[in-house]
Amino acid sequence: MPPPGERPRRRLPAFGGLSRLALLLPTLVITAVCFVIPLGLIAVYSFGTVNQVNFDVYFGWTTQNYHDFTSALYLHTLARSVFLSLSTTLSCAVLGFIFAYYISRQPPRAQQLLLVAVIVPFWTSFIVRTYAWVDLLQNLGPLDRFARTLGLHGHIDILYTPYSIAIGILYSYLPLMILPIYVSLERIEPALYDAAADLGATPFRQFRRVVLPHAVPGLIAGIIIVGVPALGEYVIPEILGGGKTLMAGNLLADQFLETGNYPFGSALAVSVMVVLMLLLFLLRRAQPAAEVQ
Amino acid sequence: MTDTDLLIDPLTRGALLKKAGAGALGLSAASLLAACGSSSSSSSSAGSSEAIAGQAILSNYPGWMGKHNLADFHQKYPQASIKMISNATSSSAEVVLQFKSRQYDFLLADTTDSGQANAADLITKLDWSKVPNIKNISQKFRTAYPWGLPTDYGKVGIAYRPDLVGNATITSWHDLWELIPRYSGQTVFIDLERDCMGSTCKYLGFSSNTTDPGELSKVQDAIVKVKPDLNAFLNTNVGAGLINGSVAMAMDWDYDVALLQQKNDKIKWVLPDEGVHAYLEGFTAVKNTSKIAVIQAFLNFLATPPQYADFVNTTGTAYMMPASTPLVAKTISQNPILVPTDAILAKTEFDKYLGADGTTLWSNTWTAIKAA
Repeated sequence: MPPPGERPRRRLPAFGGLSRLALLLPTLVITAVCFVIPLGLIAVYSFGTVNQVNFDVYFGWTTQNYHDFTSALYLHTLARSVFLSLSTTLSCAVLGFIFAYYISRQPPRAQQLLLVAVIVPFWTSFIVRTYAWVDLLQNLGPLDRFARTLGLHGHIDILYTPYSIAIGILYSYLPLMILPIYVSLERIEPALYDAAADLGATPFRQFRRVVLPHAVPGLIAGIIIVGVPALGEYVIPEILGGGKTLMAGNLLADQFLETGNYPFGSALAVSVMVVLMLLLFLLRRAQPAAEVQ
Repeated sequence: MTDTDLLIDPLTRGALLKKAGAGALGLSAASLLAACGSSSSSSSSAGSSEAIAGQAILSNYPGWMGKHNLADFHQKYPQASIKMISNATSSSAEVVLQFKSRQYDFLLADTTDSGQANAADLITKLDWSKVPNIKNISQKFRTAYPWGLPTDYGKVGIAYRPDLVGNATITSWHDLWELIPRYSGQTVFIDLERDCMGSTCKYLGFSSNTTDPGELSKVQDAIVKVKPDLNAFLNTNVGAGLINGSVAMAMDWDYDVALLQQKNDKIKWVLPDEGVHAYLEGFTAVKNTSKIAVIQAFLNFLATPPQYADFVNTTGTAYMMPASTPLVAKTISQNPILVPTDAILAKTEFDKYLGADGTTLWSNTWTAIKAA
């Protein structure tokens, strides 16, 4: 019998070992089939060789594919991808934070409307949205004409440059940054702002000591959600890069789609994965320190 | 969308390449399975029947068939039919893996694809006595495409707007390379290694099928040198910017330029003095297909002037059967870009399979160009 005023607690059924396994089974199967086995296959392929005439794959367990990857050509491409994904992720974080903070400080109804506005673009095909930027950014397009009305001589020359790829990634991934940051900021008790103000904290000090620490979990979640796919991004550089900026994702796709060199493509995939895991590990190490502050 | 629906609208090679990107990931999965040697088809059993009966499965670009070809064939041979499965392949690797997949009886494949499939022992040679209408196809194309029925080809030349380049006259690849830095950011190259590097080979006076590392190194240098001044490498809507003037010059396919000229008559086509590189496609039978009799009957049927004209009129491609000229739409048959004259063909070099080492060398060179 619970004490007076305390709600009766529902007793959870006790599961034995087999029952627990049965409950876990669907998740385990999905994880194994969709993630573990494909990753294992990729890893196995990365040590193989391919007959470039008939594309038969042989598993001689060679490390040649990884050795090939260390050539300056591929490392330079990977470095370019890491730099572009880091810079766009950082830009996403700054812009996403501003948007999320603004939304979180609005009345509830306005918040809902603004959140819908953030999500609505997802209802349109990703490919269509990316192609729309081709029209917007091309010379003699709307932005170019607008720049001319402001007195710019010549053309804006943005399309088919690393900048247009960065714009495409920023635009496509920004909502994925805004939402987790918003969730973190929305949980801040309004009384905390009042308390900080009553104690004489300037707006900047309030931001630094109240807002930022609460936003860190959302920021880190956003950085992971945006940064990971941005590093392997294939479609945006393909459409907005004009074939002039080779990224790791395109290099990887070419091995599978163009040259049929699955072992080398797999080695590239594993290498990109290792770089990602390293970056995530560093981020993970930074997280507790940030939370403590 | 059914295959019949796909046949209703004329579709350019450029338009279908758009779909290649969208379908690429799906195809890669299929290709991976093919590489593993898996198969779920039952159409691969050995042996052939002389009876023209049964359904042959064709892998083809979306809509790359005459509006009435398949229905007319079925009408002539009620026991036989062709099931067309659309695949927007964009590389030889994908096509060769289709040859291996045992899912098809015959495929649309270019000279490089079929040459490689032949080297890998993945094709069935046709009994030409069953395809007597092959004589209607010009000999040059038959020689370049000996594995099946050649259907279409496309030359890579230059399209440009004289009004945007100071009324300069371009007659050669050399002229183009000279003008690229002067009109920086206003030139587009094709984003396919065989066409782009092949055309650069022509600019430098090499065969567009060279496998000489020294020559390919010079090709790489020539493209990398002008790369900062290029607007883009594109594989769809390559010359579209010529219409509104956002680009002034383009390395482009003949059929694409023919379409562009219908939208802007200021666009000029140049068959460069040094010569041109070209792709050549056709239908090739897969090894051990059990439907070889149906395939041969269909190819023989397609090689008649009325059926071939239907194919050309639907796809808008440059054609290779002089006897079909009266039946081909005038927009094609009277377009000097698309008519296969001896003078044009003398300047044309078709794709060839380069062998494993040659293919790898080209691929590595192309990657180096793109990464530069």
